[in-house]
Amino acid sequence: MSDLTNTPIDFPAILASSVHDIKNSLTTVRELITHIANKQNAHKNHDFIQLEFEANRMNNSLMQLLELYKIDSKLFNLDIDEYSASEILQEIMAQQAPLLELNKNKLSIDCPEDLYCYCDFEHICNALNTILNNAQRYTSTEIHLSAYQEQDYIVFCMEDNGAGYPDQLLAITETETPSITHLSGSTGLGLHFSAMLAKLHTSKDNKGFIKIDNNSSLDGARFRLFLP
Amino acid sequence: MKLNLSIKNILIIEDYGVMRRSIKEMLYSLGARFIDEAEDGAAAISLMKSKQYEIVLCDYILGEGKNGQQILEEARHKKLIPFHSIFIIVTGHQAASLVLNTLENKPDEYLTKPFNAHQLIRRLKKSIARRDYFLEIKKDIVKDNLASAIFHCDTLLKTNNKATYTSLLKIRADLAVNTGDFDKASAIYQQILEQRDLAWARLGTGIIAFYQQDHQNAIAIFQQVISNHPIFLDSYDWLSKAYEELDQIDKAEHIITRATEISPNSFFRQQKLALLTSQTGNLKIAEQAYLSVIELGKYSVHKSPADFSGLAKIYSKTDNHDGALDTIDNMRQQFPHSPEAELRATSLETEVFKKTGNSDLSQKAFERTMELHVEQKKHIPKDLQLDVARACYLNKDSDLANDIIYSLIFNHSDEKAFMASIGKMQIELGMENNSHQLIQKAKKELVQINNKGVQLFQQNKITQALAIFNQAIERMPDNKNIILNMATILLHNLRSSGITKDKLLLTNYYIKRAKQVGISPDKLGHLQLEFEKITHLHS
Repeated sequence: MSDLTNTPIDFPAILASSVHDIKNSLTTVRELITHIANKQNAHKNHDFIQLEFEANRMNNSLMQLLELYKIDSKLFNLDIDEYSASEILQEIMAQQAPLLELNKNKLSIDCPEDLYCYCDFEHICNALNTILNNAQRYTSTEIHLSAYQEQDYIVFCMEDNGAGYPDQLLAITETETPSITHLSGSTGLGLHFSAMLAKLHTSKDNKGFIKIDNNSSLDGARFRLFLP
Repeated sequence: MKLNLSIKNILIIEDYGVMRRSIKEMLYSLGARFIDEAEDGAAAISLMKSKQYEIVLCDYILGEGKNGQQILEEARHKKLIPFHSIFIIVTGHQAASLVLNTLENKPDEYLTKPFNAHQLIRRLKKSIARRDYFLEIKKDIVKDNLASAIFHCDTLLKTNNKATYTSLLKIRADLAVNTGDFDKASAIYQQILEQRDLAWARLGTGIIAFYQQDHQNAIAIFQQVISNHPIFLDSYDWLSKAYEELDQIDKAEHIITRATEISPNSFFRQQKLALLTSQTGNLKIAEQAYLSVIELGKYSVHKSPADFSGLAKIYSKTDNHDGALDTIDNMRQQFPHSPEAELRATSLETEVFKKTGNSDLSQKAFERTMELHVEQKKHIPKDLQLDVARACYLNKDSDLANDIIYSLIFNHSDEKAFMASIGKMQIELGMENNSHQLIQKAKKELVQINNKGVQLFQQNKITQALAIFNQAIERMPDNKNIILNMATILLHNLRSSGITKDKLLLTNYYIKRAKQVGISPDKLGHLQLEFEKITHLHS
């Protein structure tokens, strides 16, 4: 007879599969909340803004946990193709649109139409989406998104007029892939994931990377993603 | 771009009520008016039969019954949706596109849950803009008018539109490969690879090497693609094909095993694995693979009695007679009105009942096999003909068995794997020399017929050459070489002695037939292009 307690537990796999279930449930919960809010005409309510933000945040974290699990178990692969940078920015705008409508933050975009980059569209959008979701929380009123070419890299840049990144965070992200255990606060996983994802984008001898500082043109935080 | 959804028929396929309602509300808020809903594959298919949908939003996981990919396959296979419709598969997580990836039948778009109305409208706009931009090319490809597709592709490339340039190059390279223009395809892939090591371009260079019979080089390239892009599954399929060409079946099996580990739900890969392991004698894995195929095929348009008889044969080989008989019963239940399934059943029963000492039942099954064989003669798949021949040998009817084998060799002499399975069957029955002799005799006769026809053609005796090949096709309707030579001579005849409608139809028939039997593009492509040019001039 087999003894269940002697069977080795593949904890990461169990965790991943649970995360997947939770993510599906979360999707349903969100749809239900939207439905109720629409019915009661309550979607301008401040609580609803908060709900939308938190739901986004949970979804992003769960999604990133799943991706990190895949990277860890060698099931992760990028689907690289050529995409328009402006399309990527438009897509993350669309992802954030409900929240933007609700909290009245001003979002501007500056990106040449003929700028193209090689990347995994879905993953890059999701990484930027997480950062933007956080920026919406910490900014006071304004966010500026831009994309441009800098030497061999295409740069996606996100600036806000909030209080900026804390010193502790700035110090740690000097390393190539900031470790989560050293990061406190809500942007930890998001930054870790972005850095990891950037690093997986390679071309010849160049590797992608991220940089954060407080040199925002809007006097707040600045996040930059460099893709070769 | 302004998108007017109000005039479009839209179908939502989603088993979960909350999601269905939510997607429907999004679509209404975007101006849609004609929305139908289905909660499972069967309902979706019957709706698609009654109405032409321009947009289909289909969840991948739908509970018991068909999944989203199977609905897409059936809809395209049975032409239930117009060729310009947009089919979007909705999945719970990303990278699904890669794992679900099958060589054919990709949806137009994947959409990851959760998504909001803004994202949905962007995705729809993007898909529709792309569809409209490539419409002419796609129409040509669907109709197999490759010359015209190339023309439209080149015209668009000349506009130098940066946004679509790479996609156009990819299509152009595909067209070049499919028409045997390997120089052009190579040049495009190199141009792409200088910019970036994209998986599809690297794979393309391997496919060219494969068609140019440089299998070693092709293998090296496919391996490189796999090591750089471990879950790009197309390269596994190609690598195993290349190993098969070199008779390295073990390696082919190994690669397909790896691919099925990454993507266990691909019907065709499990089927490939079942066939390969049946060949290598890895019967435990073959059994598992066949069971997967049957499970995955349950609701699929690709479900086939061949997979049931494949499994029954594995059981019979391992002396699991109950397993074999149960599988045969199951096949009869699944395909109640299929003469093919019945013939498969009786030819297998002949052997299984013999082994279990039920000689009466075996004799009955054999008699039924003979009747069915006569009734179905021309339409029996090759692997089933082999089963029938086996039953004949077991009942000491060697003459009929030899006739069947001879005709199989005649028709399929260039298919290595199948020739090997003929040899294997004969070894199992202790008749190794028999098949050797048959193969040699058949091949010799085949070469004689073919050479005679080709010689007459070279002497410009076209009518006589055509007569020879007509006779040959009577006897071996599936022989690739004969079909190809027939098409070549007919095309020459069109060029040299004038065009009539009948001749055009006949040439067209044989070019289509050549494609059907799987003649590779390096041999067929230029014939096809030339034929299209002649037709074009004529009209």
